Amino acid sequence: MKKMFAIFKREYLQAVRKKMFIVMTFLLPLLMVGVFLIPTLLLEGGLGEKHVAVVDGTGELQDAFKKPEKNDKPDADTPRRRDIPQQLIVEYVNARDKDVEQTAKPYVANMGGKHGFDGVFLVPHDALTSTKAKLKYYSRSATDFMTQGRLSSNANRFVQEHRLTARGIDRADIDSLLSDLDVEAVQISKSGVEKKGGVGNFFAGMILVALLFIPSFVYGLETMRGIIQEKTDRVVEVLVSSVSSRQLLVGKVLGIAAVGLTQIGTWLLMAGVAGAVLKAIGKSAGVSALSMLKPSTFFFFLLFFTLSYLTYVCVYAIGGAVSNSEKEAQQLIMPITLPMMMPWFLLAPILTNPDSKLAVGFSLAPMWGPITMYMRTLVADPPLWHIAITVLVSIATIAALFLITAKIFRIGILSYGKRPTVKEIWKWLKVA
Amino acid sequence: MGDILAVRDVVKVFGDVRAVDGVSFTVRRGSITGLLGRNGAGKTTTIRMITGIFMPDSGEIGWLGGGDGSGSAFRDRIGYLPEERGLYRQMKIVELLLFLAEIKGKRPAEVRPKIDQWLERFELTEKRNAKVEELSKGNQQKVQLIATLLHDPELIILDEPQSGLDPVNMVLVRNLLLDLRAEGKTILLSTHMMGEAERMADEIILIHRGKVVLDGSLDQIRGAAGKNALHIDFDGDGAFLQTLPQVRAAAIDSNSAEITLHDGADAQQVLEAAMGRLRIQRFELAQPSLEQIFMGKVGVETLAAEEAK
Repeated sequence: MKKMFAIFKREYLQAVRKKMFIVMTFLLPLLMVGVFLIPTLLLEGGLGEKHVAVVDGTGELQDAFKKPEKNDKPDADTPRRRDIPQQLIVEYVNARDKDVEQTAKPYVANMGGKHGFDGVFLVPHDALTSTKAKLKYYSRSATDFMTQGRLSSNANRFVQEHRLTARGIDRADIDSLLSDLDVEAVQISKSGVEKKGGVGNFFAGMILVALLFIPSFVYGLETMRGIIQEKTDRVVEVLVSSVSSRQLLVGKVLGIAAVGLTQIGTWLLMAGVAGAVLKAIGKSAGVSALSMLKPSTFFFFLLFFTLSYLTYVCVYAIGGAVSNSEKEAQQLIMPITLPMMMPWFLLAPILTNPDSKLAVGFSLAPMWGPITMYMRTLVADPPLWHIAITVLVSIATIAALFLITAKIFRIGILSYGKRPTVKEIWKWLKVA
Repeated sequence: MGDILAVRDVVKVFGDVRAVDGVSFTVRRGSITGLLGRNGAGKTTTIRMITGIFMPDSGEIGWLGGGDGSGSAFRDRIGYLPEERGLYRQMKIVELLLFLAEIKGKRPAEVRPKIDQWLERFELTEKRNAKVEELSKGNQQKVQLIATLLHDPELIILDEPQSGLDPVNMVLVRNLLLDLRAEGKTILLSTHMMGEAERMADEIILIHRGKVVLDGSLDQIRGAAGKNALHIDFDGDGAFLQTLPQVRAAAIDSNSAEITLHDGADAQQVLEAAMGRLRIQRFELAQPSLEQIFMGKVGVETLAAEEAK
């Protein structure tokens, strides 16, 4: 016990003092938030400034592309989509009685470059009279569908209003007739409680799952590298002549697990502080996402983090024990990591459909269970007995992995030279 | 004094190779026992079985030192210096030494003062907070040696402790081992440097191809070999000495020769032959060196055959 603690202590202190630990602890959450939130913000705000010329053959659509006044808060009754966002700079060209294509030519020619246009939007003469008329959008990239969508919906909206007005319908009625209805995403839990859901939940889930996932891999790889290092430095000879291979393995894995928990603890603390700060300054942004962060989220995070972490670290420890050099280990990393990453690849289907057969199956399986089940608890309320099975299966998996790893460790860490074949490893398992 | 360790009929096979093939010997308490042999003879494998790193395929290794000689307790009573340095390169020396003593069951408070003493003795005090990787090879070897001795083991097992050391440090280690013996420690010293073994060892175990080929006290072994070693210093071309019928093996330099005679050969006849063609400066009949005994035992032919492989 004393010896195991010595191993544990060394493993922990050495890891916690490393630069990588400090960097990961403080930068990863920021990076996560950045990686997931910035695209979301960009999607909402458009992708930087865009200069667009609108060549209008009808000469009447100018209002459709007007921007709201800077301080003019969007009226709740006005459908928001009619506002042209600040980043979209529209130059309106009245081409009434002119040839639209001809008028557009210089603008199209002036596309690209530093001060050029990013797109040119053409409204034909018959846009208000014919239902067959076609709007046209020239752009520099074929995938600029966001700007295109914005422009076309504004133009169409105006056209629709125009048609209705032509039928003698009052302007005030038109707004109410054409107003869109918002969708409120509501998640019904098993207990019947309603809560707001939606895109925010999805991203918050993704961040949480990533925070749970990434340390398992990073420290798993660290474990693998550490074991190989011990082999190449021949420290292992000193170690096994002093402690049993089981003391060594248990001390090591628990030491690394403590490192992970320290990191997670720091993150939770950071999240708590960030949450408190947000509350204090009264920021309401992302409230629906934060509503996910209920106490059970943290509890499940710790539970499933520990389970998945121990599982993965054991698997990587085996990888380290059977490799003789970093180079050999490199070849093992992919085959070990990819299958274990499965739940991550299935993140979207699992988060969007947490009670599907796929999600349930993965959450009850060994190896994948903890992470998949965590995803499920984030967005749904899986039955308690499902959670119980996941926990039991995981504990059994970890116990089995410990036994196997200890045996492979016993022989593997001392076998220098050729990497053992699967057949040889099987032999070790039977003999050791 | 009695024996502290007994190795009986120990066998270890790796694949097709019988690395250790029925080795038996005992280690006497308070002695320095030299485990000799060429590289690959099976010394390191034997030592790894004693230290519990390998399990023997068959045979027994018994602790006769009294007290608990099993498992973890047994490990704690041995100090082991592996052939290749086994240190965490990223750790500071003091931390590493503390850790290595802890996994031998010592409390940090117990060993701290000892660490200071040892660092002082090895002139490493200034480097105590340096990382292992910042040290020279020689100093790393010293740290490894301190780690071996720090927990005050009863049996000290050293695998090639002097490899990679400069002459000054070689003497340092030699004197240390002699001091340790004077303090009553038992040392099992594996080395391929016959000269060093000759200077320190009380008992010799010679291993060749996984088998013990010689076992006994240094005096016994040399006595048994008889006086069949000739040292000749001369002026002239001594190449012909090799061809004399009395000579079994000869190492001939420009003006000296180390000759091993056939059993029962008359040294006088060699002297006569030499006097006829050389100007003799010195002619001495002596006990053979360990090296010569070893060569005689293993055979020059086998050596040649192995080199050719």
